[in-house]
Amino acid sequence: MSIKRVFLFAVLTSLLSLVALSASAQDEITIRYTLWIPPDAGQMEAFNAIKADYEEMNPGVVIEYDFIPFNDYESVLTLQLSGTNPPDAGWLVERSAPTFIQAGVLADIAPVLNSAEGYDFADFSEPAMSLWTEGESVYGIPFSTSPFLFIYNKTLWEEAGVALPDDLIAEGNWNWATVSESLATITESTGTYGFQSNDAALYTGNFWITIVPMLRAYGGDVWDADNQCVLNSEGSVEGLTVLHSMIFDAESAVPPGTEIDFFAGDAASTIGQLSRVGRLADAEFAWDIAPLPSGSADTPYVIGQAAMSVFNNSANSDVAADFVRFMTTQENVTRLSAYFPPIRASVLESQAFLDANPSIAPERINDVVATAINNGTVLASHPNFPTIELTTRALLDELWTPGADIQATADLICGAIQPLLDQ
Amino acid sequence: MESSMMNSDSIHQSQPGRKTGDGWLNLRQRESLMGYLFIAPQMLGFFIFVLGPIIAIFIFSTQNRNLLSGINTPIGLDNYIRMMETDPFFPVVVRNSVIFTSGLVPLNVVLALVLSMLLTTKIRGVTFFRTLFFAPVITSAVAWAIVWRFLLQGDQGINSFLAMIGVEGPNWLREPGWAMASVIVTRVIKNVGLNIVILMAALQNIPSDYSEAAQVDGANLWQRIRYITIPLLGPTLMVVIVLTIIGSLKVFDHILLMTGGGPANATNVLVYYIWFNAFKTFQMGYASALAVVLFAVTMIITIVQWVLRRTYVYNED
Repeated sequence: MSIKRVFLFAVLTSLLSLVALSASAQDEITIRYTLWIPPDAGQMEAFNAIKADYEEMNPGVVIEYDFIPFNDYESVLTLQLSGTNPPDAGWLVERSAPTFIQAGVLADIAPVLNSAEGYDFADFSEPAMSLWTEGESVYGIPFSTSPFLFIYNKTLWEEAGVALPDDLIAEGNWNWATVSESLATITESTGTYGFQSNDAALYTGNFWITIVPMLRAYGGDVWDADNQCVLNSEGSVEGLTVLHSMIFDAESAVPPGTEIDFFAGDAASTIGQLSRVGRLADAEFAWDIAPLPSGSADTPYVIGQAAMSVFNNSANSDVAADFVRFMTTQENVTRLSAYFPPIRASVLESQAFLDANPSIAPERINDVVATAINNGTVLASHPNFPTIELTTRALLDELWTPGADIQATADLICGAIQPLLDQ
Repeated sequence: MESSMMNSDSIHQSQPGRKTGDGWLNLRQRESLMGYLFIAPQMLGFFIFVLGPIIAIFIFSTQNRNLLSGINTPIGLDNYIRMMETDPFFPVVVRNSVIFTSGLVPLNVVLALVLSMLLTTKIRGVTFFRTLFFAPVITSAVAWAIVWRFLLQGDQGINSFLAMIGVEGPNWLREPGWAMASVIVTRVIKNVGLNIVILMAALQNIPSDYSEAAQVDGANLWQRIRYITIPLLGPTLMVVIVLTIIGSLKVFDHILLMTGGGPANATNVLVYYIWFNAFKTFQMGYASALAVVLFAVTMIITIVQWVLRRTYVYNED
């Protein structure tokens, strides 16, 4: 065989391989879907089952879950979105919604949802959708509208001989005044801290989840619906004072600089969401959930939200939007509801939702979780959220010292973040 | 073997500039080409991964560049004006960086000098101590920071040990002054081993004759260190100081893991703030302007030290 023929043969073979490769690549669409739950977490079972069903119904579509740790989620996602191989769809937490929508990186999935047969978009609670819609456009479907709960170590409460949350609720005494007394008694009699902030994050991480329930219990908040800072209002200062007193006077709440874990049995209570209950599956102590205690105002219902969105840069945004539609059908929302409380009214009111989490009694889900979803308001968010958070955290550190001037600190924070809220 | 020697001889006999026969290039050009080809991979890496980003950072610093939205608007020197006039965090961050560097560098260098002198003496167990001081250098920075964060808790770790001897320790990482001191000291313990190794190598190269002669002349230990050892260590000390200063200005992981820049921004240093602006608020343009400032500061410090070495370094070939 002459060299010419060998060369010709090689060129032809290469071309044929390229054609075959490109044909197979065209046949298969891969949807990369980012989330912050590790692949081995219990919650992933439901997600994997939904993925398997979708792939079976749509041959040629492959769904890839791409895990990004929660603490780095926004940074890593942003870097990926600005690169040449962006993810197609993924989760977003409520505080990211305004920033991501304003930046124009989320795709409007309303056309896909509205044209889907039997999807019943009206089944989603309108107030709970408000962060993710602009006019007729839909930029995300919340799959978790999870109220913050009071989670407590029943064993420690019983050991200390204090009235259990159920008894206090029955007496009409489920408020921070009574609860903080109980927590102080638990600390004194058991030597264990009475209260740990959400994921121990009050001093270094997501402090909003612990302080917002305290502020709202007394009729306050960080900022209101008109983006006016109200952290220095009478109610907010009262709420902060109760928390400060638990830390530095009664010494029943974990102080700054001490690292312990409620889920390991090192504290008698914490604030957390339904998904955190998964960490108590192997707990060696009895535990239960209760609504957030009230203050001088009514019971606060504080909600954290996470949604599924499709990214504008996706090369297959229609398929990605269809996958999001599939994940949020009535059937699949029910499958996810064991850990992720839904905003589909039909699921929220169903027995399937009440029975979904075997570790919590159905009546408890109804009284505590469903009631909070129906009455709650989502945590505050703003396009300038990261800068507001940095500013607030730095100034809030002034508060986490004994003898801090709470009103003065709150005034200082409002003075610093109001210009950012106005932008 | 014989054949290779012959080839070698024939190359040596060739005159530079003469054509060697079948090629287009003469020997000198071929040798130059070979040289360039050998360094090409390194140079390519340098242009793509070092010089390119440095030039890009200067350009980005004159833009309102948002990483999330991809919007890039030229704004001239506005990022620098914001830094100097309106950003409330910038002066705090600069002050913290100065405190961190001024605390870390003298502590690290003096400790490294003292320990390297002790560890070059012939005493029992010196190998154990050399290993002990170098071990933190090869320890994971993440593991190091996390372990220290636990040891420096308010009422546990070191403080529970102090309580046993009747001392009430501070809340190390939650009180602004102590937090900065804690990150400096733990960083020094982590990295001092590297400087010890460099200085030990230099100390072992100093002939003992000078010190012995001085001793015969009546010089005491301090005088021998002050007037003989330290001047002879001059060039090495200069390198150690420059590297330690640059390393201290680049600190990031240690701060992120131990304090997250807190409490009350007391440990928020320049690189941490650059990271925050770039990847938390997505303001890549402003973060680039901050990076340019860091680049300029590092460059100025290096030049100043290079100039000062003419005055203070005696023993340089």
